[in-house]
Amino acid sequence: MTDLQAKLIEIVGEQNVFKDEDVLETYYKRYADNFLVKSPIKPKLVVKVKKKEDIQEILKLANAQNFSVVPVSSKAVDPNASDAPHSENTIILDLTEMNQVLIVDRKNRMCMIEPGVSFGQLFPIVKKEGLRLLTPLLPACNKSVVTTALEREPITIPRYQWDSSDPLLCTEVVFGTGDLFRTGSAAGPGTIEEQRASGQAQKNPLGPTQFDPFRIIQGAQGTIGIVTWISLKCELLPDTRKILYVQAEKLENLLDFLYTLLKRRFGDELFIVNNLNLASLIRETSAEITKLKGKLSPWTLIIGLGGRQPYGQAKLEFLEAELNDIAKEQGIQLLNEIENISNEDVIKIFDNCTKNPWKLRYLGGSQDIFFLTTLDKTPRFIDTFNKIVESTQFSKDDIGVYIQPLVQGCNCHCEFNIYYNPSDTNIKQKARELFEKASIQLMDQGAFFSRPYGIWAEEMYKRVSPVVVDSLQKVKAIFDPKNVLNRGALCFKEESA
Amino acid sequence: MLDDNIYEAFEQIVGPENISQAPAIIDTYAFQWAAEVLNVLDGKPPARYYIRPAAVILPGSVEEVQGVVKVCNRYKISFKAFSTGLGPWNCVSSTNTVQIDLRRMNKIIKIDAKNMFAVIEPYVSGAQLQSETMKFGLNCGMPGAGPQVSPLASATSMCGMGFTSASTGFAGRSVLGVEWVLPSGELLHVGSIGITNDPDWFSGDGPGPSLRGIMRGFVGAKSGMGIFTKVAVKLYPFPCKPEWKVTGESPNYEFEIPNYLKLYVINYKNWDELANALRRFEEEEIGFMCYHLSASATLAGFAKTREELVTQLASHGRLKRPLTVMIGAQTEREFEYKKQVVEALIQETGGKDYTKKLKIRSISYAEGLRCMYGFHGFLITGAFQSTHGCMDNIDNSVHMAQLNAPLKKKFIKKGVIIDDQGDGLWLASFERGHMAHCEMPTMYNVNITESVEGFVEYANACDEMDLEEHLGLPFFILGDKKHEWAGPHCMNYHIWLRKIKESFDPQNIADPGFYISSKKES
Repeated sequence: MTDLQAKLIEIVGEQNVFKDEDVLETYYKRYADNFLVKSPIKPKLVVKVKKKEDIQEILKLANAQNFSVVPVSSKAVDPNASDAPHSENTIILDLTEMNQVLIVDRKNRMCMIEPGVSFGQLFPIVKKEGLRLLTPLLPACNKSVVTTALEREPITIPRYQWDSSDPLLCTEVVFGTGDLFRTGSAAGPGTIEEQRASGQAQKNPLGPTQFDPFRIIQGAQGTIGIVTWISLKCELLPDTRKILYVQAEKLENLLDFLYTLLKRRFGDELFIVNNLNLASLIRETSAEITKLKGKLSPWTLIIGLGGRQPYGQAKLEFLEAELNDIAKEQGIQLLNEIENISNEDVIKIFDNCTKNPWKLRYLGGSQDIFFLTTLDKTPRFIDTFNKIVESTQFSKDDIGVYIQPLVQGCNCHCEFNIYYNPSDTNIKQKARELFEKASIQLMDQGAFFSRPYGIWAEEMYKRVSPVVVDSLQKVKAIFDPKNVLNRGALCFKEESA
Repeated sequence: MLDDNIYEAFEQIVGPENISQAPAIIDTYAFQWAAEVLNVLDGKPPARYYIRPAAVILPGSVEEVQGVVKVCNRYKISFKAFSTGLGPWNCVSSTNTVQIDLRRMNKIIKIDAKNMFAVIEPYVSGAQLQSETMKFGLNCGMPGAGPQVSPLASATSMCGMGFTSASTGFAGRSVLGVEWVLPSGELLHVGSIGITNDPDWFSGDGPGPSLRGIMRGFVGAKSGMGIFTKVAVKLYPFPCKPEWKVTGESPNYEFEIPNYLKLYVINYKNWDELANALRRFEEEEIGFMCYHLSASATLAGFAKTREELVTQLASHGRLKRPLTVMIGAQTEREFEYKKQVVEALIQETGGKDYTKKLKIRSISYAEGLRCMYGFHGFLITGAFQSTHGCMDNIDNSVHMAQLNAPLKKKFIKKGVIIDDQGDGLWLASFERGHMAHCEMPTMYNVNITESVEGFVEYANACDEMDLEEHLGLPFFILGDKKHEWAGPHCMNYHIWLRKIKESFDPQNIADPGFYISSKKES
């Protein structure tokens, strides 16, 4: 037993420290084959924690003994490999058992949860209270809700995203120094209990006072602090639903209509998918997906409408009539249903999670390229991507596209899914080539990789001013001066430790 | 006064016509609304002038701003940015500080109507921006301070609550990107405008952690972290037909109320009813505006003169806890739907439609669209200032209001602040009721020392109450003394805030007086 192992056992107990090769291998396999990971590194140890005090102790130990700590909150494999160590001397801090739902508050439309809480766990709890979560498109049931919020993953209802940080509100965090902190109005005065007694509900993410530490923690891939709970913005669960569709041969034909809906704040769920992704969302097996895909238009805009009693029906009638008028004016055919797909199937992808991740259903493997841009620029990026697909001789039939308007329509998430059979070495290599080539070319064309995982980070930080990098490094040096948190990720290289 | 060589160094950058240290000029920057409050807080008499800057410099471009800041660094002179400059926080906090007045940087750089954002310079006012965005059926968020102030300042450096916050959110959450001259003089582009290939302003976060996190918080750094020379702010749908026809002469204006716009004042008997109503109206997402002003403040908002307000106060004793809601629509169908929901909600929440009982002129609609009701706070004494201002949710705001009334009455009884029956307040909802803030505008007599000092004593007592009752952090926690007082009650945040200052500005070149100071002074 090493000295480090002994010290960790002192903190969390023997049953929570793992050095067995098979355990380490399990964690390693989560990211080893991910194209974002250049040289996969196996962790030295895995430590399971349940208490914030233990996290504090472990980070203090990391500072003293100079090892790196990578937090993992999801049981689901992260398609972006954010849990892959970048440094040889790394332990994994497994937070999956820190999974209490601390508060569900209908009146204040929020909940407070620990990092290990999964979508499968949380959905029924909030629904019971009449609330809906603001989630990525059909997340995996065993995925951490906290992770999606911390990673600024896109949500499907743009009009509820007032700030890019939504739905994340307040946080409790252990900084790299080992210090405990609470962000937003949760900072105080008073304990959380005292704040709630004064009527507060940890709704204001801003502050305390003149800085917003939650924005530094968010998007940081665990390099600034380890979050022990968050408060999360929820909305009211609709009891009346309606789904509308617009289909098009060309993406451009959907955009003006979508822009109008965003400007009028019409529609709950609003997003565009290509035929392969729509089929993958609706069907469970490769054969079913292939069959359905062939019957769908290349592009579909999905519009979810929702209302609640007592005004829900009137709201839906008004909205549908308005949408029909706008569609007529713009020469758009607004559909109540799509052939071969039932509305019930589509409704199932909202306010729900899946045990069968939709991006793995078609061929078993997927690597995503995503970035932020504006809707009007998406056709240009798609054109570029298609040309790269052609040049790499990858099958254009195995490409998914997902376009998600964000921040009330000010920008959008543009995502390409490269689907491949992971047991076919040749295809996998081609997929990797496509991924690497396309990532660079899209960046060069102005795609804003705001969440630069793995190999993207180095490329992305080459494409911003050195003042940006310098400023981020100054921030890192404040909250994690010895670079113990996810050392090597983003622009926080190992040598700076 | 600056040494000649320093003055000349600045002059070389901006030209002789854009720098001055003439007493008549620098005095105008020291004369500020509520400066007397700061003077009393500093232990001085309640003068209307705060500290005079060493000089006033007017750069015309970001390069000139950088140049000026670099000279400040070279000669260890502090700087303080100033755009439209409402409030004493725009003043310098020491005499060894130059005021960088950004009024020459007054361009709307871009309106991206499709993607609903605008890029503006510091001296663009809300009124200017709104006039231009209206042409695209779009609106900008404006603070309670009014349309004459700089949306850049609200978004980057000040606070950002507005009468339309229910539908236009909070200014600090509307930022999509900034051009930022750091205290060192280096230029930082935050977000998607910072990339080298095809930079654009659509996102302010990343790559990786968002540097917006050190730019500002619930309140801004008030130039304590540098100077913002451009900002991209979100735009919002204009609530009705974007038409604007005003006739008449001051103060007797008439406004042609555009199609599909309606203002309601709904009366509730008590706080519980009001809180429930505010929540329900916001849950249905129909109000362009949705807020509570106390009865007297509501009446002041619609009054043209002090005399008229006094008459109205006497006539509306039944107005208890009013909720003001303005709805707008683009089509008759939308308008009908919203009106039906308002009527049903009034029934559901036990309110009484009080609108027709009030004398609401057409110009009040224009003032609503223009976010101008705050001006009426000056009607009675010509001076007021707010206290509390904590921001979390509706229940917390109501609790704050309830606790504050007895405290305020105590000071009214002393005769130091004006009698508003203890409940003069503004409770605004943000983002469809997700957040709320409550502040207590309080009138005092600026010409009577005891009144100003009494107000300051009351304001300090409000801050104490916020901590003791766990109501939240008030919005005027600015400067070392206040941060060091509040920080230990709030996770010792002041230690982290100071580390940020020390890392980016170890020499306190960016005026720390309304932020926090670095202790690493050489």
